[in-house]
Amino acid sequence: MEYAIQTKKLVKRYGRGFTALDGISLNIKRGEVVGYLGPNGAGKTTTIKILTKLIKPTAGRAYINGVDVTRPSKEVLSKVGSLIEVPGIYEYLTPIEMLTYFGRVYRIDKKVLDRRIKKTLSLVKLSDCEHKKIGSFSTGMQRRLAIAKAILHRPEILLLDEPVLGLDPRGIKDVREMIQHFQSEGMTVFLSSHLLGEVAEVCNSVIFIDKGKVVESADMKDITARLETKAISVEFSRPLSKEEVARIQAVKSVSNAEVSDNTLLISFEGGLHTSYQILRDLTGMDLEIVSYNPERMGFEDYYLSLVGNERGVK
Amino acid sequence: MTSLSSDLYYISLSLRFEFTKHLKRRRLLIVGALAIIVPLLFLIRAADTADQFASNSMMFMSFLIIISAAMFAGDAISGDFEKKTGLLLFPTPQRRVSIFAGKYLAALAATLLVVSIYYTIVTVEIIGLFGVGDIPAELAKSYLIAVLYSCSAVSIIYFFSSVFKKTTMSTLIGFFFLLMILPILSMIMMQLNVEPWFIVTYPAGLITDVLGATSIGASHRGAINTFQPTFGVGMIAVIVVYAIVFFLAGTWIANRKNME
Repeated sequence: MEYAIQTKKLVKRYGRGFTALDGISLNIKRGEVVGYLGPNGAGKTTTIKILTKLIKPTAGRAYINGVDVTRPSKEVLSKVGSLIEVPGIYEYLTPIEMLTYFGRVYRIDKKVLDRRIKKTLSLVKLSDCEHKKIGSFSTGMQRRLAIAKAILHRPEILLLDEPVLGLDPRGIKDVREMIQHFQSEGMTVFLSSHLLGEVAEVCNSVIFIDKGKVVESADMKDITARLETKAISVEFSRPLSKEEVARIQAVKSVSNAEVSDNTLLISFEGGLHTSYQILRDLTGMDLEIVSYNPERMGFEDYYLSLVGNERGVK
Repeated sequence: MTSLSSDLYYISLSLRFEFTKHLKRRRLLIVGALAIIVPLLFLIRAADTADQFASNSMMFMSFLIIISAAMFAGDAISGDFEKKTGLLLFPTPQRRVSIFAGKYLAALAATLLVVSIYYTIVTVEIIGLFGVGDIPAELAKSYLIAVLYSCSAVSIIYFFSSVFKKTTMSTLIGFFFLLMILPILSMIMMQLNVEPWFIVTYPAGLITDVLGATSIGASHRGAINTFQPTFGVGMIAVIVVYAIVFFLAGTWIANRKNME
């Protein structure tokens, strides 16, 4: 099977022995929106820089549409759009001038180009500023323009490195909607980020990396299933006696019960039906239940359980 | 599209884009203004003969070439790495060599435009003051050397732009290399009674020497043993070799640079 993006045991070492990538292997299918998650310094940007031929790997291979990007030809990048880190801007040009140049780089037909630029600027909500000098743009506007450059040629593959960096909440929402739009057009999106919420909302699957290694790779559906209720927080009108706690612990499927004042945290094995059965058993015990809340493990908790909680997670 | 025609397409695209940048950044206008104003200053105390007027006017030419080359080529490569515009420019289907060649040609085109404006104005002044018949034939030789020296100066500063990460560093070092370091080396050579024919600023002195004067920035007089370059294939070859070698070396280094 030919993947949109594939890497095989990718290694990148910088001077003084710092290993940014330590044998990363990725297989990304066409049309997928894949989140590439990891703390700062995990190797996300390095991977994207290798895929876009900005740097060379120390070892291993990287492929775009089956073409080895470590080979000299740059033709493969004609089908790739990229936004990497915070690129510099041509402050003395207007968006139209800048995008016209890049449109020609991607050999977009002159007749099509003008319309395409207008449409793209409209998509990133910069239509009102098309003739203003880029130097006068806010950080968010510059970011949008960089996204416009990345999507101008309607690439098959879009590599986005921290696309919402520096954007306000409205800008973040707009970028999310844009990514969903690209997905509906069949684009493969590889989204590197350390912002979990952003990834959870738009991606089909997620790859977690840390210290240059893949820690976990899974579909969002699978991860969501793993985050399903495995604990219930039950609040009572009064503190429970030891005997009452022991009775609860004896309920079928309950693996543990921890008491704290009026609240009991019940861990159990099973799904939603088990949770319902436990509730039924508890109500049968006449224990004056005030509230019954299935605890949901957050995406953040899941992430921290994979990479540890010492570094840059938001 | 073949690889060659594809490269030519991207070189011409890069050239036009970079030239537009020179225009938009007003650098071309500033240096262009110098090329217009300075020759007019020589009218204040006009020389008695056309030869002398041309000779006096061209004393500024080497300096103008160096300042133009520094302005247009100083950030040709280092700028994309320092300002991170390379993150937009490099992950595209164009080869880096094409991008850099276009940048070099744009810097050269801007420099040649400035040089040509200067020569045109001086020629018009000579016509106005002395008549068409008095235009010195040596002015064409001077122009030829100025064009070739422009190629070398742009190549040298382009080379420094590929070596250094900071644009101010590459611009200043390139500027002082041509304006001071090479002329000082020439003088040292002459002190040692060695003709510095292999130092590019020495043959570049022909810009004025063919007209009978010595220019700012290409001075090789004042030493105990005075040598003077003679117009010919040998001196032209030295300038051309500098242009080619520094361009190739700069492109090679730039092509190997990682955008880290």
